[in-house]
Amino acid sequence: MKRRFVENVLPPAATFVLTTAAAEFGIRAAGISPLLLPTPSAVARAALQHSSTLLPALAMTAQAVVAGLALSIAVGLLVAIALSTSRWVERAFYPYAIFFQIVPIVAIAPLLVIWFGYGMRSVVAAAFIVSVFPVIANSLAGLLSVDPALGDLFRLYGASRAATLWKLSLPWALPNVLTGLRIAAGLAVIGAIVGEFVGGGGLGVVVLEAMRQQRTDLVFAAVLHAAALGLGLFAAVNATSHFALRRWHSQEKDT
Amino acid sequence: MKRFDASKIARTLGIIMLFAAVACGGEDAATRAAAGKVAIALNWKPEPEFGGLYEAQRTDAFTKRGFDLEITGGPGAPVVQMVDAGKVEFGIAAADEVLLARDRGTDIVAVFATYQTNPQGIMVHASRGLQSLPDVFAAGGTLAVEPGVAYLKFFEKHFDLAKMKIVPYGYSIAPFLSDKDMAQQVFVTAEPIAARRQGADPQVFLIAESGFNPYAAVVITTGARARGESKRVADFVAALREGWRGYLDDPSQANARMGALNKEMDGETFRLGAEAQKPLIEDAFARQRGIGAMSLERWTQLGEQLRELGLIDHPAQPEQCFADAGATGGAPAQSR
Repeated sequence: MKRRFVENVLPPAATFVLTTAAAEFGIRAAGISPLLLPTPSAVARAALQHSSTLLPALAMTAQAVVAGLALSIAVGLLVAIALSTSRWVERAFYPYAIFFQIVPIVAIAPLLVIWFGYGMRSVVAAAFIVSVFPVIANSLAGLLSVDPALGDLFRLYGASRAATLWKLSLPWALPNVLTGLRIAAGLAVIGAIVGEFVGGGGLGVVVLEAMRQQRTDLVFAAVLHAAALGLGLFAAVNATSHFALRRWHSQEKDT
Repeated sequence: MKRFDASKIARTLGIIMLFAAVACGGEDAATRAAAGKVAIALNWKPEPEFGGLYEAQRTDAFTKRGFDLEITGGPGAPVVQMVDAGKVEFGIAAADEVLLARDRGTDIVAVFATYQTNPQGIMVHASRGLQSLPDVFAAGGTLAVEPGVAYLKFFEKHFDLAKMKIVPYGYSIAPFLSDKDMAQQVFVTAEPIAARRQGADPQVFLIAESGFNPYAAVVITTGARARGESKRVADFVAALREGWRGYLDDPSQANARMGALNKEMDGETFRLGAEAQKPLIEDAFARQRGIGAMSLERWTQLGEQLRELGLIDHPAQPEQCFADAGATGGAPAQSR
């Protein structure tokens, strides 16, 4: 256990220390204007100095991200199940799911305000729109990859469609669903920040304010908070994955 | 309407692109200067606020002084950073941005202030019968402004904004047109004219009325250039001043030129905008000291206000903020 800690934590920690130190000294030595690129120490100072702005903003963004992600999981799974029911349904609707993934959120963000009004709803909608597709795509791939032999076995025993879905397809697809969630978690943060640019609130507005007030160090501090949020969600999905799969799936077994 | 929707994101991306530009080097301002070339970065699309510049480019104001003018930048361009990094010699910013940039450790100075009175205001529907900015804030409703603008901080300090729902301005007047209780930031030369032309009955309260009046559409450069190449800077300012004199007298040809570059604003809006901004540019002070001239008192006051609002961390040194080459004691404005 202790050795694993060293193996897992030491390499990224060493990378962090080295790159931070290199950036600190490199930026100082090159004499780069603080308006263009602040030193890591300046960013850390800004983070501490403005924590009363950053932390409530982080909490607000986190709420929107979690809400958007929850919607994505619910809607994404339902859509994937619906698409997996028949080849014809899949062929009819899957191309449109891809189309909606390709629509750039930045371009439609201003419309969200017109549709949902200023505030949280627009932000949640933006987080949802960008994060739902990876859930659909990965869940569908999982649902469609069920071992045909097992499908035959369920049919042989006269299992109902609901039972087949609940006891075979969904457990089979779970690793794929979780992979989709890992991707969705990071995207939801991006979506929420873009949503906040137009809808207001959270870290998105802190970034805009800091840009306008030429506090580049605070921009970086806010961006790091957003990144930490994405990382936290990613870790939460990983923990869920470990917990859900450890007893039976090779992906998480014996680790 | 006036402002294109993705511009906030563009501003963010602009910074990133600037990093790339700085990293890649390329032709810098010094080599251009030697060739008589001079670049100015704008912070918006060609609109009446830059009328004098385009008039000076159209006429021989720049060429007879040996300048080959390149107009660059646009919505989202990180103008202050571009000037600071030496990518362009000159840029357009607001007076408060100059003080902020200096406070953050750069040596940006103002050399010409287009607007003596800040042309930004808060637009409301006239049907609400509001009489002043405090009225607007007391009435409540939604207020759309760009997050982080200095005047919003000033409002927060001096007025009670508890009843207002403050949202980011999305550079479109569509929400204003559809919500009778909506208030939004405007440039008097643009949005109110567009709103009226779309059937609304807008009323504008200038931000300057509240006691916060930074010079706007200010031409900036670096302190090193203003001191070291003062003749060149003075020539540039003289050309620009000549352009503004011409534009104030007859904006039609420069408007046509800008209209060709900015198709989103129609000719009538250009005409009305140019008319609306006249008193903000050429007031008694500018008549006496020259268009674009600045005063130490104004810079001192702005420095104190920004310090009071916590927007700058150190006391401003107003005398170092500006170098109005050729204006102080310069030729008085020609009579019409």
